[in-house]
Amino acid sequence: MEFRLEAHRIVSISLGKIYSARGQRGGLKLHKNLLVSLVLRSARRVYLGEPGGECALPPRPGPPPPPDCERLRRGCRPLGSEAAARGRAEFPAESPRKRSAAERGQVAGSPGKKPRREAEPPPPQEDMETGNVASLISIFGSGFSGLLGKERGAAEATEPGQVCCEQPALRSLNPWSTAIVAF
Amino acid sequence: MFMWLLTFLMVAFSHFFLLADIISTVEFNHTGELLATGDKGGRVVIFQREPESKNEPYNQGEYNVYSTFQSHEPEFDYLKSLEIEEKINKIKWLPQQNAAHSLLSTNDKTIKLWKVTERDKRPEGYNLKDEEGKLKDLSTVTSLQVPVLKPMDLMVEVTPRRIFANGHTYHVNSISVNSDCETYMSADDLRINLWHLAITDRSFNIVDIKPANMEDLTEVITASEFHPHHCNLFVYSSSKGSLRLCDMRASALCDKHSKLFEEPEDPSNRSFFSEIISSVSDVKFSHSGRYMLTRDYLTVKVWDLNMETKPIETYQVHDYLRSKLCSLYENDCIFDKFECAWNGSDSVIMTGAYNNFFRMFDRNTKRDVTLEASRESSKPRAILKPRRVCVGGKRRKDDISVDSLDFTKKILHTAWHPTENIIAIAATNNLYIFQDKVNSEMH
Repeated sequence: MEFRLEAHRIVSISLGKIYSARGQRGGLKLHKNLLVSLVLRSARRVYLGEPGGECALPPRPGPPPPPDCERLRRGCRPLGSEAAARGRAEFPAESPRKRSAAERGQVAGSPGKKPRREAEPPPPQEDMETGNVASLISIFGSGFSGLLGKERGAAEATEPGQVCCEQPALRSLNPWSTAIVAF
Repeated sequence: MFMWLLTFLMVAFSHFFLLADIISTVEFNHTGELLATGDKGGRVVIFQREPESKNEPYNQGEYNVYSTFQSHEPEFDYLKSLEIEEKINKIKWLPQQNAAHSLLSTNDKTIKLWKVTERDKRPEGYNLKDEEGKLKDLSTVTSLQVPVLKPMDLMVEVTPRRIFANGHTYHVNSISVNSDCETYMSADDLRINLWHLAITDRSFNIVDIKPANMEDLTEVITASEFHPHHCNLFVYSSSKGSLRLCDMRASALCDKHSKLFEEPEDPSNRSFFSEIISSVSDVKFSHSGRYMLTRDYLTVKVWDLNMETKPIETYQVHDYLRSKLCSLYENDCIFDKFECAWNGSDSVIMTGAYNNFFRMFDRNTKRDVTLEASRESSKPRAILKPRRVCVGGKRRKDDISVDSLDFTKKILHTAWHPTENIIAIAATNNLYIFQDKVNSEMH
């Protein structure tokens, strides 16, 4: 799927930005990193084919989007880990090729098809070196909460520049992950 | 629309491109007599408009350097192991109340009040001191004289009068002086503080959007400004594209807005980057106080204070970039914060773009123009030629194709003289001042 490739690319780019943000002069830029985390979450949704990913696809004729999408789009105050879920996916504007309704249906999880779940490995023909990226994005919840980790007590310590979370699971992954929890 | 003439160009001092010379803010004072620029190296340069002279018909009041001073230095926060950049984020002039001029300048953390005074006379003939200021040997003093004031070469002195420190945990993005001339506000990503200009050891927090749990953070403050006439009203913009008008009379903490200005998103334009491009990078009240101007990545919008549901006007700055958002995300350009400006009569709005282009939109005729601030295209006394970006289709001579745009040449900061058609454009480390030919021919 083209836009899944796109999503993967965006996830990689976003992780790279978060990582390099640590060394920036002047400290972590909250605004920019928030935006990057929102993009990362959207891309992750599409990449993993999660529900909420279909909200991102452009409108197509037929039944209106599920009520979830409207609430998510308005950006309600988050209640839990599915924070202000505005999952949107890139409908690849860069691609000149128009999608047929059938393809859209297949991707979006139209009635009769189940959306792909997190556990499913990427199709072998894509050859995307997904190993590191897939494991990293699987630990992210939505938005900031994913980046911060689940340590509630760390909330006060999240002023720029301070490490706030010591999840052992994260440390066991590759070096990138420890950089990300710097929020 | 206008016929812009280049009347001033200042290029960074050194031959090498120094990051410290990048201009980071430009601001006219209330009369337009003075223009201040701040740069990444923490310096402020003030330009003064020469009085127009009948003897020199070509001199239509041009700007020259008036004073330069170091406003902020790099600092180190030892507690957080963070370096604090000296870059000047914003400068705001205070309305002039006596012979001196005052301005506020801010970096990420600290706001400073500077007083700019002129000295063109000095006393001579002291009894106890000699010409160099050394104490005289009293035995040589045989008579008393009265010191007299003698003219001297004009000296401009800039002194720091107040330092407003430790008010912000996050990075300060804007400051705005209240119309009461006694208070001002400073905004960072999550909070807005109200200060009294004479009091530095305390400030009042008037907006706080920091969530109890930082994990729930979804939105930050991106810009804020006081209403030009109503000292109780101010607006702040967010990274979600909304504007909140707040009334300080309603309550001490203005977390609840009086009005929320927000436009529903166009579903056909949804993408991964919808949130980023809807983030408002600048908000400016019109001189009349009736409208607000906002800039987001691809558009400028005019909002009527009486209508919260959508802007009354939307202008496309560079819509041809919409299909390139992924590349612009990759090279970080999508995070560029462009500013916007009104002209004196609120009929024309201006904002910068890439390739050293800047755009103007006439609200009445609905015409727009793209102009370029570059050495090649700006010959003194020659009128700026409109530029065109071609997006496919017929290509005229001198058109630039989207793919040849130089994204490293961005015009983020522009300013319009409060009453006349004079504009200041900061193109990376160069400052251009253009004056409308009609404007100058009138004098």
